[in-house]
Amino acid sequence: MKTLVTVKRVPDPETTIRVKPDGSGIVTDNIKYVINPFDEIAIEEALRIKEKQGGGEVVLVSIGGKSVTEQLRTGLAMGADRAILVLCEQPLDSLAVAKLLTKLVEKETPELVLMGKQAIDDDSNQAGQMLAALLEWPQATFASKIDFAADQKSATVIREVDGGLETIGFALPAIITTDLRLNEPRYASLPGIMKARKKEIKEIPVADLGADITPRLTVVKMAPPPKKEAGKKVETVQALLDLLHTEAKVI
Amino acid sequence: MVNFQPTEEQQLIRASIASFAQERIRPAAHEADETGFIPPPLIQQAWELGIVQNTIPEALGGAGDMPSALTGALICEELAWADLAIALHLLAPRLVIEPVLALGNSAQQQQVLPAYTGATFTAGTAAVMEPRFGFDINELATITTRRNGDVILNGTKCYTPLAAEAQHLLVYARDEGKVAAFLIPRDTPGLVIGEREKNMGLKALATYELILNDCRLPASAQLHGSLSPLLNRSRVALSALAVGVARAAFEYARDYAKERRAFGSAIAQKQAVAFMLAEMAIEIDATRLLTWEAAWKIDSGQDTPHEPVSAATREACLAKNYAANMVLKVTDNAVQILGGHGYIRDHPVELWLRNGRGFATFDGLAMV
Repeated sequence: MKTLVTVKRVPDPETTIRVKPDGSGIVTDNIKYVINPFDEIAIEEALRIKEKQGGGEVVLVSIGGKSVTEQLRTGLAMGADRAILVLCEQPLDSLAVAKLLTKLVEKETPELVLMGKQAIDDDSNQAGQMLAALLEWPQATFASKIDFAADQKSATVIREVDGGLETIGFALPAIITTDLRLNEPRYASLPGIMKARKKEIKEIPVADLGADITPRLTVVKMAPPPKKEAGKKVETVQALLDLLHTEAKVI
Repeated sequence: MVNFQPTEEQQLIRASIASFAQERIRPAAHEADETGFIPPPLIQQAWELGIVQNTIPEALGGAGDMPSALTGALICEELAWADLAIALHLLAPRLVIEPVLALGNSAQQQQVLPAYTGATFTAGTAAVMEPRFGFDINELATITTRRNGDVILNGTKCYTPLAAEAQHLLVYARDEGKVAAFLIPRDTPGLVIGEREKNMGLKALATYELILNDCRLPASAQLHGSLSPLLNRSRVALSALAVGVARAAFEYARDYAKERRAFGSAIAQKQAVAFMLAEMAIEIDATRLLTWEAAWKIDSGQDTPHEPVSAATREACLAKNYAANMVLKVTDNAVQILGGHGYIRDHPVELWLRNGRGFATFDGLAMV
């Protein structure tokens, strides 16, 4: 099975994020970047599918500047076969990303597109759904387990939905987005890292894909969350209830 | 000409090992120290990273990568940052792999190396240290005599990691005035592997005393060639491991000092503590630079065995010696900064102090 896996370069979740004083974005100096953790799960799943089926191809795709090479190389070191980098310096909204991915899917014709359910930087949780809509393919979001029929023509996915698990079946090709509990990604091994050096990262200028990436969304302002203030201790339950009613106004 | 930027591959290797060290090894360190036991799944997962078997030639089933002392130093620092005892366990097979790679003839390489290319962790080790005052690698008390073309080994070794489970043992001995290394089969008559040693630190690492009583080996058991470059690799490995232990202690003490308040401010704001932390940071960086310079001299071929002391030997000895003092100072300061908490085993700093103390004692316990 040929699987396309999307990879987004995001700030390390363990980095302290600071908003620029003018509210135009975050301070990007000295930030460590990693593969979006949900995308890392998607890469791992694609590799497991390939190992289990004893064949196929895992192709990574990303959109961004040259620096994304670092994350693609990490994915290749985990075991992916090759990578495509769409060179684009401007910020993109989810719809633009989905449109660019549509063009890539048409070129690459994979049986499966695996994506993180969301990127941990803007938490949009939209690109997967939009891509499925544009391609008119079935979609299974928030996957925590993926199985394929013996003929590899259809799949069964367990989804993590509010209040429980939902099992759905659908025909391939399809879009699956990964949730946290799907798997635990492997660490890149030394031999894997050495092999990755020789693997291809094909660069495509964004203009060559001919997709309409005009922004529909603009970031008006970013602000840090309000500082948490010290709590207060109350003597009785009644005093607590009173304060919840009069001060916090939640009951 | 001077460049401190590791290559793209080295950065990827460091990042991968650092994640593994932080997410898998560090959480297991305390329990391993208390019980003297490292969980096999952890050892197995580490094996799959390929840090041990990476340099074995492809023809013998390995990945065929060039050994690099600098890459090794990066790996050692990250592993030891998480836990020194577990790091030494994971790296122990390299004690036999690297010498056989560097000096072994094709028969010896065929005999030893394929055992370390399998899917599961295989233990291997080398016996370098001896239980006597003033240990000197060039003046070993384990000696050889020759009889009818065979080699007879006599002596006692100590701090031999994983000796009880090792597939291959390499014994260092004095041979005609020089240090030499011999591959000794486990079932050699006269070879006794003693009880597991009880050490001050490194409690999770199984080390053993070895007694060699008229152990007779064919001449083909000897690795021929200068051991000096290998000893330099060992010194670089130990220095880098010491940097890792010290960095762990420094980071822990720094974070503690920023949190812990006394007399109205964080203790990190007090000059007495701030100066200590600054001193620790300087010492660690200085040792890392010494280590990297030694590694760079090895990797750039400045380790010509013909010279009495090569540039790499000089630098590796300086680094190792400095590292042994540095790690003791830094880990002791970390215990001091934690005050009463530092002496309690709930905090890891006392473990790092006990482990760090070993660097002044052991030699040849790791190799990159």
